[in-house]
Amino acid sequence: MVVKVFSTASCPFCVALKNYLKEHSIEFEDIDVAENETAQKEMIEKSGQMGVPVVEIDGEIIIGFDHEKIKKLLNIKD
Amino acid sequence: MYDTIIIGGGPAGITAGIYAARKKLNTLLITKEWGGQIIKAPDIQNWPGEKSISGPDLMRKMVDHLKTFELEVKEDREVIDLEKKGDNFMIRNDKDEEYETKTVIIATGKIPRYLNIPGEEEFKGKGVSFCSTCDAPMFKDKEVAVVGGGNAGFDTAVDLTKYAKKIYILEFLEEMKGDSVTKDKLEKTGKVEFYTNVTVKEIKGRRPGGASGPEGKDFVESLIYEDRDTGEDKELKIQGIFIAIGMMPKAGFAEGLVEFNEIGEIKVDKHNNTKTPGLFAAGDIGDVKYEQIVIAASQGAISALAAYDYLKKK
Repeated sequence: MVVKVFSTASCPFCVALKNYLKEHSIEFEDIDVAENETAQKEMIEKSGQMGVPVVEIDGEIIIGFDHEKIKKLLNIKD
Repeated sequence: MYDTIIIGGGPAGITAGIYAARKKLNTLLITKEWGGQIIKAPDIQNWPGEKSISGPDLMRKMVDHLKTFELEVKEDREVIDLEKKGDNFMIRNDKDEEYETKTVIIATGKIPRYLNIPGEEEFKGKGVSFCSTCDAPMFKDKEVAVVGGGNAGFDTAVDLTKYAKKIYILEFLEEMKGDSVTKDKLEKTGKVEFYTNVTVKEIKGRRPGGASGPEGKDFVESLIYEDRDTGEDKELKIQGIFIAIGMMPKAGFAEGLVEFNEIGEIKVDKHNNTKTPGLFAAGDIGDVKYEQIVIAASQGAISALAAYDYLKKK
């Protein structure tokens, strides 16, 4: 399973999301779109919007820290 | 049948939950999301016991603490209706679930105030933002507008000066209301222009690459404002617009059972009673003067204890 998180350092929901993934021992690629303009373009292209965080799970795009969807795609039970 | 239902998952609702559970009330807490406004705070320095903590971290600690108690929690749900049923209350949420309870604590807090103009909803996340802490880095070398010339607008502009190349601050009133110290700081960057006595009327966008671009991928391109000195409509080319015109309470679901003040906050007495016995309001949704995390939490505590006393006397 490939998990990518497009985020910025300052965004509170990004921090919350990344903590959530860490708590459930999910490995992910952490992409800072403030620093990496190519990644920023990729994120906007894929999600059709510019709000962070955006999570990509095996090619599926989730906008925002959407608990329900993330839980479902990652098979997290709690 | 519940003893109490708490609506809201910010500091007021969470604290009410802790107190209600400790009093062994059969408690349900319904919330759309956790944390409320504190999730947007990058650094909190006035919560006793924490010298410096981020909003999301404080929220996580509060939720962890709450969940050590025995109470029921329903997340991702918004309450849309509250009614009396005899001595009790009926609550309905947006997933069409209904609950009956003896008491209710409303702790729904405040949400950002909208301009209510065309394009605002359509371009949310596509150039329109209500959170500069979240979105400012996305506007590197871009031109942006900040609507609201109070302290919230100024703070938003300060966040943006690190990234944007040009910032317009638009204020409805004849003068900027934010602190002049911050205004000086903004002026010194040479990036900020201040417009007063203007009304923002519309946000416009387009598809990247013109009308032939992919559908549903429009982004903000400009805003229309009226210069009220001349009565003229003008267009400002910008790629981002940050709305910082304050917060508003949202408790329409309680209409009829509570009294609202002129800005839509629920009127409460010093024990957080509303005009309906058994119905309490805590935190920023109430007509409290000082809106602070510690005050919201303390009101949550008072509400839960008052609900407990109310149940005991019944």
